[in-house]
Amino acid sequence: MATQHSRTAARLMISPSVLLLLCWMIVPLAMTVYFSTLRYNLLMPGSNPFVGWENYQYFLTDPAFLTALVNTLLLVGGVLIITVIGGILLGMLLDQPMWGQGIVRILVIAPFFVMPTVSALVWKNMFMNPVNGLFAYLAEFLGLQPFDFLSQAPLLSIIGIVSWQWLPFATLILLTAMQSLDQEQLEAAEMDGAGAFSRFIYIVLPHLSRAVTVVILIQTIFLLSVFAEILVTTNGGPGNASTNLTYLVYAESLLRFDVGTGSAGGVVAIVLANIVAIFLMRMIGKNLDA
Amino acid sequence: MSRAVTPQRKAFNTALAWLIGLLIFFPILWTVLTSFKTEAQAIADPPIWFNFNWTLENYFTVQERSNYFRHFWNSVVISVGSTVIGVAIAVPAAWAMAFVPGKQTKNLLMWMLSTKMLPPVGVLVPIYLIFRSVGLLDTKLGLVIVLTLINLPIIVWMLYTYFREIPVDILEAARMDGASLRNEVIYVLLPMAVPGIASTLLLNIILAWNEAFWTLNLTAAKAAPLTAFIASYSSPEGLFYAKLSAASTMAIAPILIMGWFSQKQLVRGLTFGAVK
Amino acid sequence: MGRITLDQVTKSFGAVEVIPPLNLTIDEGEFVVFVGPSGCGKSTLLRLIAGLEDVSSGEIRIDREVATHLPPAKRGLAMVFQSYALYPHMSVRKNIAFPLKMAGMDKAEQDKRVDYAAGVLNLTDYLDRRPGQLSGGQRQRVAIGRAIVREPAAFLFDEPLSNLDAALRVGMRLEISELHERLKTTMIYVTHDQVEAMTMADKIVVLHAGVIEQVGSPLELYHTPRNKFVAGFIGSPKMNILEGPVAAQHNASAIGVRPEHLASSAESGTWEGRVGVSEHLGSDTFFHVHDTGLAETITVRASGEMPLRHGDRIFLTPDPDKIHRFDAEGLRMP
Ligand SMILES: Nc1ncnc2c1ncn2[C@@H]1O[C@H](COP(=O)(O)OP(=O)(O)OP(=O)(O)O)[C@@H](O)[C@H]1O
Ligand SMILES: [Mg+2]
Repeated sequence: MATQHSRTAARLMISPSVLLLLCWMIVPLAMTVYFSTLRYNLLMPGSNPFVGWENYQYFLTDPAFLTALVNTLLLVGGVLIITVIGGILLGMLLDQPMWGQGIVRILVIAPFFVMPTVSALVWKNMFMNPVNGLFAYLAEFLGLQPFDFLSQAPLLSIIGIVSWQWLPFATLILLTAMQSLDQEQLEAAEMDGAGAFSRFIYIVLPHLSRAVTVVILIQTIFLLSVFAEILVTTNGGPGNASTNLTYLVYAESLLRFDVGTGSAGGVVAIVLANIVAIFLMRMIGKNLDA
Repeated sequence: MSRAVTPQRKAFNTALAWLIGLLIFFPILWTVLTSFKTEAQAIADPPIWFNFNWTLENYFTVQERSNYFRHFWNSVVISVGSTVIGVAIAVPAAWAMAFVPGKQTKNLLMWMLSTKMLPPVGVLVPIYLIFRSVGLLDTKLGLVIVLTLINLPIIVWMLYTYFREIPVDILEAARMDGASLRNEVIYVLLPMAVPGIASTLLLNIILAWNEAFWTLNLTAAKAAPLTAFIASYSSPEGLFYAKLSAASTMAIAPILIMGWFSQKQLVRGLTFGAVK
Repeated sequence: MGRITLDQVTKSFGAVEVIPPLNLTIDEGEFVVFVGPSGCGKSTLLRLIAGLEDVSSGEIRIDREVATHLPPAKRGLAMVFQSYALYPHMSVRKNIAFPLKMAGMDKAEQDKRVDYAAGVLNLTDYLDRRPGQLSGGQRQRVAIGRAIVREPAAFLFDEPLSNLDAALRVGMRLEISELHERLKTTMIYVTHDQVEAMTMADKIVVLHAGVIEQVGSPLELYHTPRNKFVAGFIGSPKMNILEGPVAAQHNASAIGVRPEHLASSAESGTWEGRVGVSEHLGSDTFFHVHDTGLAETITVRASGEMPLRHGDRIFLTPDPDKIHRFDAEGLRMP
C-alpha cells in the first residue's frame, strides 16, 4: 500500500488540513504574543507602545488571576470527578437487564443536546432562583430556608450545571465500553471465587481505563474553556468567585477593551493549557496505542 | 449484562433507572411544560404540573419579539456549513492517514488534536481584530470559518478511526480495477464509510450548533445563531419564565429531535470512534 | 501479451531487505506458481508486479514495456485477493462490472461481458445479491469474475483458496486450472501449499527468504531438486534428509530419500527401526519410524494393508536410483 504515487497523493491530500490548522494556530498565536507586549487599549486609539513584560506582570499579580486559576482547576476537576464516577455508576445500572432501556437511554442522553446558554438560563432562573425557582419551592415545602445558589455558592452551582451537561457523554462512553466487556471473563472470575466487588475492581475497572481516558481527554478540552455558562449565570461574580481563566481573559479584552493585558492572559492560558495537554497526551499515548 | 436475573431484580433495576433517567431529563421536561403556561402559571406557588391552560402564545411572542426563525436559520447555516466543509477537507486527510500511514502519522494526528487544546481565549483578541478589519464580524461566513477550523481535528480523528476499519485490500482491488484515486474514494471508500461519516456529521453538527464561545463573541444582531439569541433572554424583564421556556424549547428542539432519531449513529459518534 | 520480466528487482522495507536482487521471466500464457514458507516474500513479489508496492531497484517489464513506475491501474493486470476484497456495498453484477465502468466502457458491452463471465462461473442466479449474502466459494468466483471481465494481460492470485474449506478448495483448484486452459492467459498464483503448486503449475518458483531457490516444472522440482531446501519443500510428506555416516557412504554430506521411495518390511531390509505414529489414509499408510540411528524420524509410505502397529519392528530399504545426494552447501550433487 505504499508506492511513490500513493505517498505523493497522501501528502497532497493531507496538506489542506495541515496548512489550515497551522495557520489557525500560528497566525493568531503570533498576534496574541505580539499584542501582549504592547500597551494597547481599544478605547484609547493612538500609538501602542512596546512595554515588554508589563502586561504579564499586571495580569499575573492581579489577585483575580490566582482566583481564576484555582476556579478553573476546581471547575475542571469537579466536573470530571462527578461525571466519571456518576458515569460509571449510571453506566453499570444501564448495563443491567431492564424494561424500556432504550427510552431510559434517550432520557439520559438528552442534556448533551442542550446548548450551554439554554441550560445555564434554565437552571439559573427556573431552578436556582431563590424566589421563583423550583428549588426554592422544594426548600419551602421541606420547611427550609431558600438558598440563593448563584450568589452563595456560584462556582459549585456552575459545576453542577456543567456536570449535568456532561454526565450523558461520560455515561454513554462508559456504557459502550462496559457492553464490550467479555462476559466469559466475568464468569471465569466468578468461578475463581471473585465476589462482585473484586470483579468490579480487578476486571471491570481495568477494562474501562481506556474509555475513562477518552472521557477525561475530551471533557478536559471542553471544560478548560467553559464560558457561556458563566457569562449567562453569574458574569464571573460575585466578585471573582466564579471567574475562570477563559472568562477573565474575555473580561479584560472585550469588556475592559485592554487588548494588551487580555493577550498576556491569553498567552498564560495557552501555556497552562499546554501543561495540561502534555500531561494528557502522555496519558492517551499510553492508553490509546493498545 | 445478558445474564439471567430474577424478575424482582429486573423490576428494581427498571425502577431505579427510570427514576434517575427522569431526574436527569426533568429540567428539559419542565422547560417544555412551562413554555405552554401563562407567565402567571409559570411561577405559581405551588408549581402546576399538567392541569393548566395549554397555550402557544409564548411561542408567537418569542418569534415576534426576537425573530426566532432568522436565528434558527443562522444556526442551520453555521452548523451544517462548517461541518460539511470540515468533512470535505478531512476526508482526504483521513484517507491518507488511514491508508498510507507513515512514521509521522501518529504524531500528526496528535498534533492536530493538540490544536483543540488551544484555549479559544488565547486567540480571541486577534481573531476578533482580524474579523473586525476584514468585515467578518457578525457574519455567518466568519463563524463557518471558525467552527470549521475548531472542529476539523475532531472530524479528522473520527474519520480516521472509521476508515481504519475498512480493509486496505478493497481499496487496492479498486486500484487494480483501474480506479483513479478520485474514483477509489468516491465509489469505494465513501460508500463503505457511510455509517462513520453519518456519525461524524451528526456529532459535529451538534457540537457546532451548541458552540457558545465564538458564536457569542463574534456575532451581534445579524448573524447570531440560537446560542446568542437565547443569551438575550438572560436579563430578566419581569415575568418571563414562560417566554424563556418557549425560546429555550425552540433553541434545543431541532437538535434534540435530530439526536433522538439518529441515536445509533450518534452513540457511535459520541465515543469519537475511540471506544468500541 | 502477458510476458512479464523481472530484472534485478529488489525490495526493502526500511532497512530490511525482503527481496534481494531477483531475476525472473514469466512467459505468455504460463501458469506460474510462487511457493514458499510463510514470510518468504511471495505476496511482496506479487504486489511488486501488480504495482501496489514500488520496487526499491530494478526493472519490471510487461510485454517488453517498462512498467516499473506505472500505477497499478495502467499495468493491465487483474488481481484476486486472499480476502476476496469484494465491494460490500455493490451487488455481484456491479462488483464484476466495476473495472469495466472504470474503463469507461458503455453499458451494453458491460452487461454482455458480465453475463458471459457469470455464465462461465455459475453466478448467473446471484447477480443481484450482495457479497455478504454469498458463500465463500461464490465470493471467490465473484472475485475471479471481476478479474476476467477485463481481459487482463495476466492474472495475479494471492492465496485465493486459503479461506475455503478443504473440499471446496479442491473444486476451486480445478476450476481455476480449467479457466486457464480456456483463457490461455498468463497466471501468477501465490500459495504456501505445495499440493496446490504441484497440481496447478506449469512452472513453479520456489522462494525462500526472498531468494528464488529453483524454477522449474513440478516434476523437475520433484525429481531433481536443486538443493536441500527445495527437496524438503516439494513433495508430501517431506523428503527424509539423512546426514552423517550413512551420507558418507554415498560420498555426500547429506542424502535424501522420499517416503515413497522406501520399501518397508517387517522381516528384513537395510535400515532397522521402530514404528511410532502411523497415519492411515486408506490407500496408503505413513509410518513415522524411530530408533534407526540415522535421524530422529524417518517417514515412509507403505500400502494401506501393512499390518504394523505402534512399537513394532520395521525394516526400510531405499530405492538406490532415487537417492538424492547433497554437498556441504546443501546443493544437489549429480
Ligand atoms: N509493509 C511492510 N513493512 C515492513 N515489512 C513488511 C511489509 N510487508 C511485508 N513485510 C515483511 O516482508 C516479508 C515478506 O512478507 P510477505 O507478505 O511477502 O510474505 P508471504 O510470503 O506472502 O507470507 P505468507 O505466506 O504468510 O502470506 C515478511 O518478513 C514481512 O514481515
Ligand atoms: Mg502472503
